[in-house]
Amino acid sequence: MTRKILLILSLLVSSVHADSGSRLIASGGITGFEGVAGGGLTPWAFIGGYASKEEVSYSANIQYLSLNDYSLSTAGLSVGIFDRVELSVQRQKLDISSGLTSNVFALLTDGAITNANAATIEQDIIAAKVKVFGDGVFAQDSWLPQVSVGAQYKKNRDFDTSLLLPDGSAPLPNTGVPKLLGAADDSGVDVYVSATKLWLGIPNGFNLLTNLTARYTKANTFGLLGFGSATDDNATLEWEGSLALLISPTTAIGTEFRTQSNRLGGLAEENTAVDAFIAYFPNKSVSITAAYVDLGNLPLQEDSSGFYLTVNANF
Amino acid sequence: MIISRSLFTTFFLAFAMLTTGCASTTEQSLYDEIGGHDTLNTIYGVAITRIYNDPTIGHYFKGVPKRHLREQLVSQTCDLIGGPCEYDGKTMIESHKGLNIQERDFYILVEYVQSAMRDVGLTYQQENKILQKLAPLKTDTVYL
Repeated sequence: MTRKILLILSLLVSSVHADSGSRLIASGGITGFEGVAGGGLTPWAFIGGYASKEEVSYSANIQYLSLNDYSLSTAGLSVGIFDRVELSVQRQKLDISSGLTSNVFALLTDGAITNANAATIEQDIIAAKVKVFGDGVFAQDSWLPQVSVGAQYKKNRDFDTSLLLPDGSAPLPNTGVPKLLGAADDSGVDVYVSATKLWLGIPNGFNLLTNLTARYTKANTFGLLGFGSATDDNATLEWEGSLALLISPTTAIGTEFRTQSNRLGGLAEENTAVDAFIAYFPNKSVSITAAYVDLGNLPLQEDSSGFYLTVNANF
Repeated sequence: MIISRSLFTTFFLAFAMLTTGCASTTEQSLYDEIGGHDTLNTIYGVAITRIYNDPTIGHYFKGVPKRHLREQLVSQTCDLIGGPCEYDGKTMIESHKGLNIQERDFYILVEYVQSAMRDVGLTYQQENKILQKLAPLKTDTVYL
């Protein structure tokens, strides 16, 4: 269905001039792990790609985050329309090692079952972002940031996908990892506001990007562990921030944080996620970003940190 | 966790050093720092040749003598970056009124000026400081 939407969209806008766009290089940020333009971890108010008010541009991304017994692969497509609207679809796939699922069963059965298959949790994210006001790059005579609002519809595809043992049996039928850990729903909508500003020539002649995002969400660990819980079905306000310094026309370094709600607690305790990244923009068609990411606790893995790599293409 | 925390501390320190470490201590204006009138004149000479030949935005400058535009841009930029000039030409709004210049056109022009600054040998930092002063002109240029 998401593909159909994108196809219709591309037909709608195919009559409009479309190449990678004429906005200044790096001003579209990169595509984050949820498919939305910004940093790797948090959306920015900038519309993805390089389309000006008169243009439409498309982006594609692939991303990989390695976290020991977990790894997250994700890929998606987005379109930036008239530097006003950004629409995106993203598929995330969280792989969980068999060592980890085996430990889950060992815990649940007091050691009676000690061997389980590896598991995956997939999630789809369909998102829209609209620029509300401001010009975060060119309004250098003003303190006002660029402000956008956005929504992300997230659908966890493995909410009730049973964990399997090597013999093919499912001791917990229709119970996926999110459900097992206490999540109430398989889908949810995140709503956010982002304020972003690029400070040209500051500090010391470099360009500094500052971003603050407020998110209203029911997601547990970004939705990968479902939404809400039996006892808490309220959305909470979470904060995200990015600081990036353009150290050359083609290179940005920066750091980000993102608070999480910790609704499930226990094994699924959530901590504030942080990262430090370096992004390389050799031209407007492609960008490559490497980061060190620390998500804190994931179920049965207290220190979940590791390397992240993403490639974006714009056309 | 301990490893990652110390990594972040290192990162922040590097960040702080980069942003404050080599600040210029003299009170020299940006205009003087880049080499004054001669440098600006070369930058705009290079940029204007490219702008006039651009298939998308060249047509806006039909009938505008290169030399006139160059003098105007040099004088205006000189004024904006602390030079001893006072720009007394037409305001940006006056000179762009009715042209219906698109955002795309403006960005193309900015990139020519950026590349000219680079080709003339300005540092990335000098380029950004100048761009900071020129950037607000966007609202006086686009869609008037």
